[in-house]
Amino acid sequence: MITLKDVNKTYPGVVPLHVLKGINLEIDKGELVSIMGASGSGKSTLLNILGILDNYDSGEYYLDGLLIRDLSENRSAELRNRMIGFVFQSFNLISYKNALENVALPLFYQGVSRKKRNKLAMEQLDRMGLADRSHHLPGELSGGQKQRVAIARALITNPSIILADEPTGALDSKTSHEVMNVFRSLNADTGMTIVIVTHDPGVGDQTNRVIRISDGRIVTPELII
Amino acid sequence: MFDLISEIAQTLRNNKLRTALTGFAVAWGIFMLIVLLGMTRGVINSFNDGRMSQGANIISVWGGQTSMPYKGYKEGRSVELKEADLRTLEIENAGNVSAATSILYKTGVISTPKDYISTGYNGVYPSALEDRGLNLVAGRFINGRDLEMKRKVIVLTKKNSEVLFDDSTKVLGGRVICEGLSFNVVGIIDPEFGQDSYIPFTTAMMLDGNSGKVSRIDVNLKNVKTMEDGEEVEKDIRSTLARQHEFNPEDQSGVWVWNRFTQHLTMDTAMSILDMVIWLIGIFTMLSGIVGVSNIMFVSVRERTHEIGIRRAIGARPRNILVQILTESVAITALFGYIGIFFGILVTELLNRLFSESDFLKNPTIDISIAVKVTLVLIVAGCLAGLFPALKALKVKPVEALRDE
Repeated sequence: MITLKDVNKTYPGVVPLHVLKGINLEIDKGELVSIMGASGSGKSTLLNILGILDNYDSGEYYLDGLLIRDLSENRSAELRNRMIGFVFQSFNLISYKNALENVALPLFYQGVSRKKRNKLAMEQLDRMGLADRSHHLPGELSGGQKQRVAIARALITNPSIILADEPTGALDSKTSHEVMNVFRSLNADTGMTIVIVTHDPGVGDQTNRVIRISDGRIVTPELII
Repeated sequence: MFDLISEIAQTLRNNKLRTALTGFAVAWGIFMLIVLLGMTRGVINSFNDGRMSQGANIISVWGGQTSMPYKGYKEGRSVELKEADLRTLEIENAGNVSAATSILYKTGVISTPKDYISTGYNGVYPSALEDRGLNLVAGRFINGRDLEMKRKVIVLTKKNSEVLFDDSTKVLGGRVICEGLSFNVVGIIDPEFGQDSYIPFTTAMMLDGNSGKVSRIDVNLKNVKTMEDGEEVEKDIRSTLARQHEFNPEDQSGVWVWNRFTQHLTMDTAMSILDMVIWLIGIFTMLSGIVGVSNIMFVSVRERTHEIGIRRAIGARPRNILVQILTESVAITALFGYIGIFFGILVTELLNRLFSESDFLKNPTIDISIAVKVTLVLIVAGCLAGLFPALKALKVKPVEALRDE
């Protein structure tokens, strides 16, 4: 599903910052993987590259067999829309849109009719157990509920992969656990490929494979737990 | 489309005060534009009324006094126009003159058993009704038969007829005494200016003792298009009359000439310049509103950088963002622009009521073509106002936008 070959990334500046130093990585379809590392290790940059939010300087990145390199803004927007579902630490829901509208938004950019996308969004919310909260604004939801709305939004386009950036970072341990359970069951039930970036070992333990990154390099042999 | 509208409605609802303040600037600009345009329209209308009521294709000539010696004559000699000049003018300038008519103006007393008036009366041809814009309200005007038969018929103004007759229904067909002769009232006019009465030219000649003198000659022009044409014809008429009455063709005071055609053209130019200037002023007034919208859109884009980042991350293309910001800007300008148009029209209609009796502002309202133009201006302005903020929003990278909290 994901193949990285010797990917390098340097942030230009007075002192150029070489954040990714030849990353090689293979993630198969249906895997539940966590990428762990301390802050500044390059894990967020890696996630941004995986999510086609940022570009890299050299190497090759294949997503679902497709070489992701030097894409136009339009093409990368389209790929993000169709192939990737994002889940963020700070939820990143649009504050003045209710849960249903937030979930339906990716379909808006696919040109899906309002009726159809609301129906699909409702299905996703129902799947997250939030059907009764569909008309609440994000401000009226708890942290765990917000994250589940965000997951519903990530799932609605039926993407190839879910990328989660510290999805439990803003949640207490009980809710963290709930959210992780959502990811686990999603992976187990539908075989969805999920990549979680975290610095929390507790989260890492709940995934099937942990990739450790330190100082821009992958450090662990890739163990299957 | 509906989605876009509801998106815009949502963002506007989120920023009520800001939207309202910007909207006010735009509405004010448009309001001023409409009122200014309406007022100029009013001034132009009343100008036009004054000159259009009198035909524009006419050169009028009065007898004058020579100011140069010519062919042994001394200067200071009076030139008196004659009826015979009509034929000469028509024949010698056949290319540009469609008809020449004359007016014999006299003053006198017109009386009925009820009352009398001292008034001027004009001996005229039937064409005077149109040429002078006399606005016939009842009966008929002088006709060809009247001229042939030298009938003693008269057309009175409405105001004079009210003085002379008690019963307004008995005016037509009633009789008045003029120069000791009994005249039959055949028509009532209600002209914009003046209170002169009208009788057939031939009848007036008779009253004048068949001297052949006329007070004024109206030359109806044809085939004149440009300023140069108009001036050329004026010169021709002058030289024809100069030959006829033996004065120097260069002598400007030999006859007095009122060239309504060239005057009309000059006025037209002046009007269109006035119109243009008003548009300019109006648009510049509006510009300050537009700059306000642009400013607000910049702030809005800045505030929503994070939101734009989210949208980009979940698949919004640059074009989607551009269209959203542009439509938002156009929506604000159009919505508040229309509020401005509404109040502008309200005020011009009010002015119309207030000044309905005045000669200076006639119908100071704007018509549909101006409304369409103003709408176009609004949409273009809205697009321009949104363009730069939108381009700025596009430059933001999704990663950076997401980091912006």
